[in-house]
Amino acid sequence: MMSSQERLSYVVGEEKRLREVLADGEVSPLLQGLVRAGADNVTIVDAEGTELWAARDIAFAGEPLVALPLNLEGEPVGKVLVFGDGTARPELPAMGKLLALALNTVITNNLKRILTTEIHTTVVNTSFEQLVEINQQLTQSEARYRELAESLERRVNERTAELKKAHSHLLQQEKMAAIGQLAAGIAHEINNPLGFITSNLHTLQKYVNRFGAMLYFFRDQQRLGTSIAEVRELSDRKWQELKLDVVSADVGDLLSQTLAGAERVSGIVADLKGFSHVDELGVVAVDVNREIELTLSVLSHQLNGTVEIVRELQPLPPVKAQPAVLSQVFLNIIQNALQSKAEGLRLTLSTAWDGNRIRISIADNGPGIPPEHRGRIFEPFFTTREVGEGKGMGLAVVYDSVLKLGGTIAVADAADGGADFIITMPLNKE
Amino acid sequence: MIEYNESEQRMVLKLVYYGPAMSGKTTNLLQLHELLPHEGRGDLMVLDTTDDRTIYFDLLPFFIVAPSGLKIKIKVYTVPGQVRHDATRKAVLQRTDGVAFIADSQLSESTNNLASFESLENNLALVGLNIDSLPLVIQFNKRDLKTVVEEGDIHRTWGPTGIPVTMASAINGTGVVETFSLLVDRLYDKIDYRYRLADDHGLEKGMFLQRMISVVEREGDE
Repeated sequence: MMSSQERLSYVVGEEKRLREVLADGEVSPLLQGLVRAGADNVTIVDAEGTELWAARDIAFAGEPLVALPLNLEGEPVGKVLVFGDGTARPELPAMGKLLALALNTVITNNLKRILTTEIHTTVVNTSFEQLVEINQQLTQSEARYRELAESLERRVNERTAELKKAHSHLLQQEKMAAIGQLAAGIAHEINNPLGFITSNLHTLQKYVNRFGAMLYFFRDQQRLGTSIAEVRELSDRKWQELKLDVVSADVGDLLSQTLAGAERVSGIVADLKGFSHVDELGVVAVDVNREIELTLSVLSHQLNGTVEIVRELQPLPPVKAQPAVLSQVFLNIIQNALQSKAEGLRLTLSTAWDGNRIRISIADNGPGIPPEHRGRIFEPFFTTREVGEGKGMGLAVVYDSVLKLGGTIAVADAADGGADFIITMPLNKE
Repeated sequence: MIEYNESEQRMVLKLVYYGPAMSGKTTNLLQLHELLPHEGRGDLMVLDTTDDRTIYFDLLPFFIVAPSGLKIKIKVYTVPGQVRHDATRKAVLQRTDGVAFIADSQLSESTNNLASFESLENNLALVGLNIDSLPLVIQFNKRDLKTVVEEGDIHRTWGPTGIPVTMASAINGTGVVETFSLLVDRLYDKIDYRYRLADDHGLEKGMFLQRMISVVEREGDE
């Protein structure tokens, strides 16, 4: 069995009763009008016969003159009852019909208005709710995006800092590598004189022993009281035995050679000290030509005899710079050139001053740099060498250093097809 | 979702004419209003329109009384077809007891028909109705026009769905009553199954249909 009341709410078009569709102010004047026109009593009842509205002149009695239906959506929901003297007032039935027609029209129009309002309100409310919901979603997603954007910026900054750190670490490593290479060459350069100095000293040690032996011989003979004539004869024989003629002749050479070797070592150390600028870490007035010479001299072991050096150095005004940075630039460019050609390399170093800027050119007669690589050679990790042979950081260090000096660097074709690195530096006047 | 009030012996049913814009939903109701008898039926209420386009809905109410005294009101609504009135469609579709989908037969309207049918499926689901158990008929309207989809194609497309399809030219009044009859027929089956209209209320299907649709004159209510 179904429940006795099964009411469900409609969004629109819920069932309405006559009272909900007709207003007192609309009905009463019509009913009163008919009473004024001569009806005794005009009453509106619902489908069950209960009175809803009435206007009366005389108390309701007897049978109605006319009883006409009121319809709501086709359903008879009430009746218009007109009481009166039909004989005295023959127009009453027609007026009753007119009243019913008027009321039915009002019912239809009111219902239409109610339905329109209902659907309109529903749609507006739904749309408003949807808008509120969409707005909330948008606000939420906006907040999400903002948060994302903020954290993105933070993450980008973090990554950038990490990369910068890694990059400067790499540059530092490359500087160390270049210096390591240099140190290896210089060790060899020092080892060479040290080798013959040591060897000479060993020989001299033997010679000194022989001289000693000769002196001990004389002291012993003197103690024995040997005659002069006998001593002369014995000492000649001993002299011959110890080959002191040869030894005496050799000592001079050995000593001068050894001294020359020691001087060479101290010369190398002086060059290295000059090149490394251990005494001048800050910005000082630097003679670029001197720095070039210092670089060439520390590299002399690699250059001598195998590389032709051409100097076209014009006198330059001093530049304010960190000399170590400048020599690093020359070292890396020259080492780069040395790796470009195994034999017959010629390096042309030229400097010039135009009154504003210093121009330094380091050109080689190697294979040169193809145009497609020119835009990239200063990039970190760019290398044309086999994997493991070069990290591609040498020229990146150069680029970094030149920037630090406030200058620019470019690569051009050298006259004989090689690469020509051109550095321009402003003469910073303070 | 039939509204049934046992103590008042009242039942309210709702049918909705759904479909794309300009497919002839209002024309269907206007023709029903013209063709069907006036007794036991309210006037067609056409709510606000702009340029002949329905913006709210149209309402054609029917009222019959079963031999048992059960009063049955059947309200037939149209919905606005334009896409922008989806909120109105949803509101009207709420608690419907059956749907007539009015499709536009013109070849150029195939896409709109499909989009509208999809919106019907979506909106029914949104208002908690199951399209599979709901009385549903499809009417292909505007058969009087020249560039229309062939009937064979329509049956091939819709046949497998099991949804009854009718052909109509609502403007000429053909097929309108047939569509309505089919829908009312299905509606009766649904409520009879649940409320035993024939057994408990003496309202046989034939009588129900006759009261609702008989085009020829019929005997007045007692």
